[in-house]
Amino acid sequence: MSEAPDLTEAEALAAEHALGVLDARERADAENRMARDPAFAADVEAWRQRLAPMLDSIAAVPAPQGTWARIERRLPANDDRMAPANDNGRLLDRVRFWRNSAMGGFGAAAAALVAALVVGNQPATVVTREVPVQPQGQLLSASVVSQDSRVQPLFVAAYDPDRKQLIVTSLLPEGSDRDKVHELWLIAGKENPKSLGLVESGKAKVIALPTELLAKMADGAALAVSLEPPGGSKNPDGPSGPVIGVGKLSKL
Amino acid sequence: MAAAATSAELLNPLMARIAAGERDALRQLYDATSAKLFGVCLRILSDREESEDVLQDVYVTIWRRADRFDAGKASVMTWVSTIARNRAIDRLRARGPMAYAEQVEELEIPDGQDSAETLLSAADDRNRLQGCLSELDDRTEKVIRTAFFEGVTYEALAKRMDAPLGTVKSWIRRGLAKLKGCLQS
Repeated sequence: MSEAPDLTEAEALAAEHALGVLDARERADAENRMARDPAFAADVEAWRQRLAPMLDSIAAVPAPQGTWARIERRLPANDDRMAPANDNGRLLDRVRFWRNSAMGGFGAAAAALVAALVVGNQPATVVTREVPVQPQGQLLSASVVSQDSRVQPLFVAAYDPDRKQLIVTSLLPEGSDRDKVHELWLIAGKENPKSLGLVESGKAKVIALPTELLAKMADGAALAVSLEPPGGSKNPDGPSGPVIGVGKLSKL
Repeated sequence: MAAAATSAELLNPLMARIAAGERDALRQLYDATSAKLFGVCLRILSDREESEDVLQDVYVTIWRRADRFDAGKASVMTWVSTIARNRAIDRLRARGPMAYAEQVEELEIPDGQDSAETLLSAADDRNRLQGCLSELDDRTEKVIRTAFFEGVTYEALAKRMDAPLGTVKSWIRRGLAKLKGCLQS
């Protein structure tokens, strides 16, 4: 194994970051690069995977008594269900809160999801719809976040299998990216992304899903949004512009 | 820890439930993995109190980031162990430069002798990495292990080994390149 080819500069840096030999400034640079360079981030991740088995040989030692209780006290949203739990839990808590209050039904939940997210965020159109029945199928939701700053979602979506509809709301400021459009994609398994159409900044939209896509709307599939020229991606099999955010569909 | 308790079938569904905000799922993950992760913290920090502190951070981090876990990219055990290692190293670094005053020769670095139990858990990845690390020259292997378990920077490594920084850097880079080649073969 003496003739191993040298690593490229980028990969060497990724490996050094995973190993932990960079100094504080270089580490910060590497973290920043991971946020904006997915290939580099993937290299770092791959190196973490390669090196992690070194941890396997460390013997297990029972954690001190009472550690779990201390962890539990530190989990957010302990008493206040409106407080952030975790990225998804926060959404779900809010949705459940609203759904349980008064109105019930999917429309209210989805509208509340939108309303709750808009608080402290950019203004967005809130959809309220009359929904007479309690849904039977499994509701799914997704929060589409940018890879760089995962703090604020860019889009939120809720899928109702009974109505075969996806409600998607852009939380971006109305009129942003004037000469570009935002295209929504469904990513399921290894297939090419399927376009779900365009979503205007700051607007909500109800998308009636074609039958062939219904089976693909499942827990674990993901939604993504790309920045495209007017009219949408020129490529029928996927985005032609940069992907600005992704989010997994998960059970509501 | 029994291999069955950490199997992917058991742990993967927990991650999805944790991501959905289910506290009970985090508790189950804690029961299945905390001894391992406490061992990792203790190995890096050699201090029970600090290790317990870091262990708390680790599970709070898992709670917040569970939605970023990708079963296609990593096993749950690898993912959570890496978080524990990184957190423990952050803590080690926070102790300041004095933490790195020790000489490499004096450090106790496990030589990869496995207990019967860990051998039985059939960690192919580990055995492969172990094998590839042992194919490196002793000095390079030692430097890589030290860096991994202590997050020691190039600069501190160079000081410890009394070697020029550029030299240490090239040992490690060459070592990592060989490691990759060996793991791929």
